Amino acid sequence: MFEAQEINAEHKDLIHDVAYDFYGQRMATCSSDQYVKVWDQNSDGKWTLTSSWKAHSGSVWKVTWAHPEFGQVLATCSFDRTAAVWEEIVGETPGPGERGTRHWVRRTNLVDSRTSVTDVKFGPRTQGLQLATCSAEGIIRIYEAPDVLNLSQWTLQFEIQCKLPCSCLSWNPSLSKMHPLMLAVGSDDPNPANGVKVFIYVYSESCRKWTKMDAITNITDPVYDLSFSPNLGRSFHVLAIATKDVKIVNLPHVYDNPNSQNVITKLDAQIVAQFDDHESTVWRVCWNVTGTILASSGDDGCVRMFKMNYINSWKPIAVLRGDGSQVSNEGQRSSVSSTVGPQIQSASQTARYIKLGAISQPRDVPWH
Amino acid sequence: MDNTAKTFVIPNELCRRAGVAASWLSVNEFGVFGHQKTPKVDKPSHFAPSDASVFQLRPDIILFKPILRKLVNEANGTFLTLQALVATEGDHKAELLKLSRQYRSIIRACLENLQDEVMRADGDYREELQNYITIFYSVECIWHLCEILFVDAVPGNIVLPHLLDWIRFHFPKYDRNAASMLAGDLGGLESHPDYWETVIGSLLQGRVKVVRALLKLHSEAESQPFRIVDQCLRAMPVYNMFSGTSIAEFNLQWNHWVVDVQSKIDAKMFISCYNLNLIMKLTVGNEIAWGEIQQYCETWYEMLAAWLFFTQPTVKSFELGQFAKQCITKMSIGNRIKHLDRMLLAAMEFDILQVIKEIQNMTDSGWFVSHLTDLLYHSGRLSDTTIETIENFHPDKLRESFLIDYGSLLMGHKSLWQVGLSYLDHCPSDGPEVTKLLLARLPLNSEMRAEKIVREALNRNLTETAQSICKVQGMACKNRGRLGHALAWALKSQDGTFVSFLSNKFLREYAESGDLNSIDLLDNLGSCILASDRLMFLGKYYEFQKLYQANEYKEAANLLVSLLESKIIPNFFWSILLTDAIPLLECEKMVFSSTDTYIIMQCLEEQEKTKDLKDKLPILRLSATRNLARALVHEAQLK
Repeated sequence: MFEAQEINAEHKDLIHDVAYDFYGQRMATCSSDQYVKVWDQNSDGKWTLTSSWKAHSGSVWKVTWAHPEFGQVLATCSFDRTAAVWEEIVGETPGPGERGTRHWVRRTNLVDSRTSVTDVKFGPRTQGLQLATCSAEGIIRIYEAPDVLNLSQWTLQFEIQCKLPCSCLSWNPSLSKMHPLMLAVGSDDPNPANGVKVFIYVYSESCRKWTKMDAITNITDPVYDLSFSPNLGRSFHVLAIATKDVKIVNLPHVYDNPNSQNVITKLDAQIVAQFDDHESTVWRVCWNVTGTILASSGDDGCVRMFKMNYINSWKPIAVLRGDGSQVSNEGQRSSVSSTVGPQIQSASQTARYIKLGAISQPRDVPWH
Repeated sequence: MDNTAKTFVIPNELCRRAGVAASWLSVNEFGVFGHQKTPKVDKPSHFAPSDASVFQLRPDIILFKPILRKLVNEANGTFLTLQALVATEGDHKAELLKLSRQYRSIIRACLENLQDEVMRADGDYREELQNYITIFYSVECIWHLCEILFVDAVPGNIVLPHLLDWIRFHFPKYDRNAASMLAGDLGGLESHPDYWETVIGSLLQGRVKVVRALLKLHSEAESQPFRIVDQCLRAMPVYNMFSGTSIAEFNLQWNHWVVDVQSKIDAKMFISCYNLNLIMKLTVGNEIAWGEIQQYCETWYEMLAAWLFFTQPTVKSFELGQFAKQCITKMSIGNRIKHLDRMLLAAMEFDILQVIKEIQNMTDSGWFVSHLTDLLYHSGRLSDTTIETIENFHPDKLRESFLIDYGSLLMGHKSLWQVGLSYLDHCPSDGPEVTKLLLARLPLNSEMRAEKIVREALNRNLTETAQSICKVQGMACKNRGRLGHALAWALKSQDGTFVSFLSNKFLREYAESGDLNSIDLLDNLGSCILASDRLMFLGKYYEFQKLYQANEYKEAANLLVSLLESKIIPNFFWSILLTDAIPLLECEKMVFSSTDTYIIMQCLEEQEKTKDLKDKLPILRLSATRNLARALVHEAQLK
């Protein structure tokens, strides 16, 4: 049983990405309508739109939050060949903006790409403020803000040639100082003859260099999304990959040895689970906060959830799909709009509560 | 792979046409939105213009209902007592049993609470409460049985007395009726509509004495059949572990008794009273009679206990499973068997893993499975040899996975997070990592809450996490323009750069407005002042201001000179510092020595080009020269 709150996102076209902040109290959405919107959850759990701005001059593909240590910071990437970093400013003085009003300012526009920027992600917070982008031309760029208190200064630290068009990237989220930085990048190049479509890069502190690892060699189908699982002190890293099916791969740890001249270039990756439940291409994969449940979405129009049990094996636990014919007013809470003033009333027009029960239960399966 | 996933429908047309995608928000909340493959080209999708919605989904967690808050908190207390107990040496069997009963009394209290509430409630809420009552009634019932079978060390495995206790506890109707009838102490009780039902019901629950007492109140109690029945029942052997009778001896006695009663039945001694005859037939296990009284049993397990009482009084706990199955077959309810029945049957078959698997399906948000599994684990029931043979089975991991799920769930609640933490604390393998992930993600809505979270992190030696939380809070304060709070948090986070940045902001604000904010904090810096050069300067400058205002000119002057000598003055602050020197130089009482004055003059020359100082330079030079003259004369006199 789920409780659902519908939020009319007020975008004029399909939403490409929804990202929640570190605490799950703020939501950013982006769309082909070139807008980015930020929503805040109030103490009653209701979501309201607090900012909306035209962020790019093309479709906005991805939106992502920086760790709150760096303030309220977003990064976006777009078909317009740029990526941008945004910071929220709280009005201090009674002037044009009232005290307490918020707005987002563009801190930098990263214009190095000559093609559509397909993904953007902030690095792990222990490494300062780093930003990785990848683009359709097959170049991964890593930027850094040397002074985290001044976000208008960004330097391009690395450019890695990937040779194939890149579609997605993910930082290994490990905060351990033992683990060097690691990036996974996927390519949606459709030609299997062009070889592997998942690339693992590891940063060596001693050589100040990103090295491509020979890791996942058997995925030659186009890859549309990938995501590292939160690290739970395991002796391996877990990477989920959206390709013609959902794949879960274990990667061993890498240790950066400053005394060794030989840089390791091989990793023994293991595919530990594959799900063809979508029976079609998989577009997105996403982990929950503790990495215990994976949500994937595919061309069958469904979101499918997989949970890991106590012996690290995976099984499907839930399926979500859309159906407009089942819209009903049952269970809708109307108390919100009838009791309070105009401000909340307008909000209740965008937020609607619905109870969702399971429609088919081959067998009761615990959500937990 | 068998497809066991539940399907949920998002009631939205666009989501149907385009398909859906999801983004996680936390451990078990997520957003779902209409989504399609990211296109390669930039043109409106064929859904545009559309009303795109995001659906925030979260599971309905009954433990978060206020009415169940007590259950969560009290169970947490028992859980922690249990963890403290097993951390000590020795055999804990007796204490574990006590704790198991404590858990049960918590459930009982919760049920009573719900029952009270349901009286007052109406409409949907009433239905909801009734739903909870059903859930926790089942929980109580299974827990009790599991306690008998897995936690309590029943001597000689003679389980029947416990089983009867269990049945009487959960089906108290007959006991209650009998008590009220006996309390009346009236003759001719048979006119009571429930009389025979109560007599037979009590008999089935093994209340032989009650049956006799009830029969005595029948108006024909003195007739022959009644007296024979009373004699028979009085003579009925009841097995008692501690009576010194061996099982073989008892069985012999029992068989004798059965033969005796059977002969009396055959002699049609009770034929005059239908119900008496039925009772006696039941005691000897007459199948037809047992078939007749099924209506008196609501459930198969009620029937099971009764049947065993009269046919297998010395049944061993490990034989229960086979009798349970026979009983279900006899009542021909195999195809109507419900979830609760399945769980009880699994318990009777000693299939602990099956029990654990089944109870996960109860919609109690994992309360039951985590506490029971923990109890069974510590009772050593998960490391039995029968289970160990199962491939890949790790009792500790199983226990931990439930506790982690339960703890993480509570961590998601705005006031239960500390309870959740205490569960994660008792997960030695993954607990610390999950704590690290979730603790840092607790929203910091207020200063007090942030401090509480930091304290919890430090209690667990998560220094790095604590520092990060402080930094986030500092950053948030900074953005809200609360520099004092921001500085306090920055100091706690031990981030030198951030401290310097904020100190600088303070100094700049002073340079612009002449006001120094957050006096309290600067008064109590202590050794924190060493966190950064800029903060040290800020602290020292504040001290200078205080001395000056207290008219301690000599001390103020000394401090000023040492500041000028130090290399920690921000460029924008030179003019302020030198301007501050003017009144001291012009002070009636001389406060700068000649050496001090040379230092000031040297700084003056170095800072000659500072813009803000331009119009003050002549005055400064004049004051410095005059003071130098004063000082030299004064010092010469001393020689």
